[in-house]
Formats: sequence, C-alpha cells, structure tokens
Amino acid sequence: MATKKKPSSDQGSSSSALDSSRWEVSCFWERRLQKELMSLMKEPPPGVTVDAEGAGQNLTQWIIQMDGAQGTLYEGEQFQLQFKFSPKYPFDSPEVTFIGPNIPVHPHVYSNGHICLSILTEDWSPALSVQSVCLSIVSMLSSCKEKKRPPDNSFYVKTCNKNPKKTKWWYHDDSV
Amino acid sequence: MAAANEPGPSRNNEEKEKEKDERMFECNICLDTARDAVVSLCGHLFCWPCLHQWLETRPNRQVCPVCKAAISKEKVIPLYGRGSTKQEDPRNKVPPRPPGQRSEPENNGGFPGFGFGDGGFHMSFGIGAFPFGFFTSTFNFGEPRPSAAPRGTPQFEEEQFVSKVFLWVAIMFVCWLLMA
Repeated sequence: MATKKKPSSDQGSSSSALDSSRWEVSCFWERRLQKELMSLMKEPPPGVTVDAEGAGQNLTQWIIQMDGAQGTLYEGEQFQLQFKFSPKYPFDSPEVTFIGPNIPVHPHVYSNGHICLSILTEDWSPALSVQSVCLSIVSMLSSCKEKKRPPDNSFYVKTCNKNPKKTKWWYHDDSV
Repeated sequence: MAAANEPGPSRNNEEKEKEKDERMFECNICLDTARDAVVSLCGHLFCWPCLHQWLETRPNRQVCPVCKAAISKEKVIPLYGRGSTKQEDPRNKVPPRPPGQRSEPENNGGFPGFGFGDGGFHMSFGIGAFPFGFFTSTFNFGEPRPSAAPRGTPQFEEEQFVSKVFLWVAIMFVCWLLMA
C-alpha cells in the first residue's frame, strides 16, 4: 500500500494519542489492531474477554476467553481462542483456532482446535473484525443441536497443516 | 460540485462538528475517518487507498467488504467535502492505476451463480418447461412411453432423460446469455 506513512518514534499507545497522531503510527495493520483492541476492551460482546495485556505486548497474537452462551449446549463451559494476525491484516484474514484444555465438541470444530468457518478464509472481508469473528463463533456454537466432532476428525487432525488457513475447506452447511 | 475553496467563517465550529461526526465517517477498513473518501454504489464509505488495496487483493472477486455487492474502481464515487483543499479525484492518486482493464463483475458477483449450483438451475426451470416437453416428444420415438413395463421403473429412466435434457437446455441458455 502506497500510503504516506511516516516512520516515527512515538507509537501512540493510549487512545487519545492514537486519535491525534493518525499517520504517526508506523504500520497500518498495527493501528487498526490497536483500535480493535480498544473497542473490544471498552465494549466486549457478552461472554467474550480479551487478554489485553498479552495483546498489548504482542499485537500479532491475541488470546480471547469465550464463555459458552446461556441456554445452549455449551453453557458453563469456557474456551480459549487464539487469533494470529499477519502484516496483511485486515486484507488477509486472521488465523483463528481454539486452544487450551477445552476445545468445544462441535461438528465444525476439529479436536486440534481448527474451525471450519467460511469467514475465516474465503468469505473474509476487511470490514469484519475480531469482534465480529467472536460473535460468529459464539453463534456457531449456540446453534449446535448435538455435540459431536466432525465426521472426518481423526483423519483431518492427522494430516492437516498446523495453520488452518492452509486447509482447503469445503463449506457445505449453510445453516450456521 | 464547484464549491469555492474559501475557508469557512467559523473554523472552530467546523472542527467541533468534525469531531462529533468523526465516527459516522469512519472508513470501513481502517476504522479511521475516511481519507480520500470514496463511497460505493451500495453506500459504504472507504478511504480510497484502503478500498484499492482490497480490490487488488481479490481482483477476480471484487465485492464490497461490508455487504458483498459487486464493486469496482469505476463504480465508486469520490466524495469532495467542502473542507477538502484539493478537488482532485482520489482514485487518480496514491495507488498506481490497476493494471489492464477488467470487465465489470456481473450484478451478483458473476459466475458462481451460473454453475450447477442452486441459483442458475432453478432459473432455467421456468424458462425450459416448454422446450422440455418439445424435446421429450421429439427424442422419445424408440420407446413406448405409457407401458414400458419390463424396465421396472420407467419413471426413473425418464427422470434421467429429462435431467439430461435439462442440462442441455441450461447449457443452451447460458450460451444464449453469453452471446446476447
């Protein structure tokens, strides 16, 4: 991108600094991630909390705590989502996986934490955000009728790449 | 808009207004106030550099990041606010022009709808209803249709045949569409 970016020493970290020194921050994607982090901290979607400290230290990798929504099969459960961002963000989708001890048992979630969700690859759009991805995942979990792994789970987990974005997903279930 | 370039009488006021409206005029990609703003026909606001990069990212599938409507360089409108100093078309600056001329995408994002997926097939159903009767009566000369007892399930056979005819009609329809 050929925007006029001035490399500078003061990378605004408070929100006011961000607002005033628009073109002072060196990277486009860092700036946008800062904004997203702020808004996620200020008004998080229900059941979603971001590890702001970790994300603040390393903007390229966020850990997000997600609670199973009330009245769904996942009520009372806690999950951890990991977001990894490339310098091409937001034009390139983030790499999103479930991590930690509790991977939700869901027909679109493999036991290694990979998620089969079209907005994470081919349907990604730069107007989406961490917040909207979290909401999509919460609603994907909430609409589940029966807790089970995907039918090809064991094969996929054995053969897949570590990065879920390298998988050629085949989206078939439009009901979610 | 041939608005004059003279500065407004109350700069302070303008500043305040700007701050207040800032969130309303955020670019949908960088989440900042849109700079070199352009608006798509579907009404979504972007910085031109941001939108340009998105269009370059997927040159074969240029869709609006917000609503996924078809979008292209020619179909966005530059916005010239009164406060802006230069009345230059933002599309002419910052990024290099997209290489080559691409034809504009079809209304609904082009070909996927015309594959053998759901959309295209249903559409040809209505139009193909009459020709299909015509074809069956023409091509079916060998087999006595009403009886056909020994074959077990003639309906099954016929269904297969009909589906082939349909495929044919669909292909013809697509060809016709392309020629027209």
